[in-house]
Amino acid sequence: MATAKDADRVRPALTLSKEELEVEVPEPRLNWMNQWREWGVRVKPGKKGLTLGSLNVGLYGEIPMNWPDRSRNPRGAIGVTGTPPVAIQIKDKVDLWAPCAADLYEEAIQRRWAPATDVDWTAIHPLPDDVERAICQVCTEICQYAIIDVELITSWQHQMAYGYHEVKQFLATTSLDATRRHEAFRKRALVNGGGLGYEGPCQVSRLLLESRGGWTETVTGLTLVRGLFTQVMIRYLTRFAYNGVERKIYECVTQDLARLLTYGIEHIKYALAHAPDKQGSVITTLAIGFRMFNRDLRDPVLREALAIIFGGGIAGARSEGMHVFYEMLDEYVEELLGACQYLRLPVAMEQLPTVFQKDKRQLPGE
Amino acid sequence: MAKFPSVAWFDAVRDVYNKDDAMHGAGSGTCNCVVGVQVGRELFQLTFEGFECSQAEKITRTKLDDCDFYLHMTTKDWRNMLDNIQEHGHATDNFTLNTLDLGRVEGLSSSTHNDQYREDLFFRYNQTLQFFFDGSSRVKTTY
Repeated sequence: MATAKDADRVRPALTLSKEELEVEVPEPRLNWMNQWREWGVRVKPGKKGLTLGSLNVGLYGEIPMNWPDRSRNPRGAIGVTGTPPVAIQIKDKVDLWAPCAADLYEEAIQRRWAPATDVDWTAIHPLPDDVERAICQVCTEICQYAIIDVELITSWQHQMAYGYHEVKQFLATTSLDATRRHEAFRKRALVNGGGLGYEGPCQVSRLLLESRGGWTETVTGLTLVRGLFTQVMIRYLTRFAYNGVERKIYECVTQDLARLLTYGIEHIKYALAHAPDKQGSVITTLAIGFRMFNRDLRDPVLREALAIIFGGGIAGARSEGMHVFYEMLDEYVEELLGACQYLRLPVAMEQLPTVFQKDKRQLPGE
Repeated sequence: MAKFPSVAWFDAVRDVYNKDDAMHGAGSGTCNCVVGVQVGRELFQLTFEGFECSQAEKITRTKLDDCDFYLHMTTKDWRNMLDNIQEHGHATDNFTLNTLDLGRVEGLSSSTHNDQYREDLFFRYNQTLQFFFDGSSRVKTTY
């Protein structure tokens, strides 16, 4: 609370000199007050509250196919002339838009969770050493995926025009989701007497980070190669969770990833519908992505760690664990081909590396 | 006491779900979707709006198109799931919605429209749906 002594100390600084008092203060012109592109807008909250999407009324809902303004002018505001352009490269709606972006943003905000307090960390209990090591290794790799996601998404975000703020805002939530994913899995690795393991191979990660051609192509790799696989893996980890701590983390992360996948798939769908010539580059990106993913899968660390988790230990890893691992890959392929069918992308099982083909797959030791 | 499956049973579970704040936070929250539930040959529709499940009704097969996705199992499999929830207070091991979807050859969640955006709501709202069915642990159920 401020005291009388404090007030004394402040007062001299506020005392104006005689010259200062004589400065003429111009009459306010208020000429900015009639400069509105549309006045009288009154959006009413609906059943879901006052959502971002519901603000798209009148001219504020006009989302043009191209946004040439390379400033930070919010959509619907009156821009000033002479502003130096900022580094906005993605100015066409077709290159970033997904009609569901505003809804996904609201969903991400409303369905947030906090690993520190929403996970009952006291429910953790000691696990056999081999299982704990395997879980920690998988946590390490998922942390790494999350770091890549943050770096990748943020490196594109600032290049996107402000006319498409719904997408920019949603992508901001995916960055937060990824940092939370990193946080949660790092905590799981360190909470039960284990720690972080090996850094995984980075072929897919490198492909994503070095993708400079376009956001649509980057999204293709981020969702259909890395994201979809991660989601299937985490769903399998949920199935084989050893305690409530892991189950809670996996369940929440599944939802977070589902939003990113929805944006990605709906963006690709929108892009292909409005620029069919993008199909070639999307398919090429997928083909390169599968090759990189195939190389990553040749590294035994993730495969063995997952097999140990699924098999209940080293003893069960070779038979039951590996069987579930390949079942998981089959589930990924099924989801992938389902998504490609939805997107009308001509991708068939035979085009995938043999590790993804159930009938042609060579198992280790064969 | 409510008999499964019936609108009365789903209403009893709705009541638990709608009144328990713990089921509306920590990764759950608002949920907006229409879920079909197929129990053997009987079909029901659950409407989730914001923080509540606002309606449960019995439907015919043609109304499945209105559902974003529907959960389908035999009466016996539903009963096994509900028994597990009754026993533990929530679904465990092989009886969570996620595991049932992965573990069953025919899956758990399907749609009649093949619109992936609507189908994927099953994953986006998975925690909410699990909380909803876990709420049945507080409903005395007969079959």
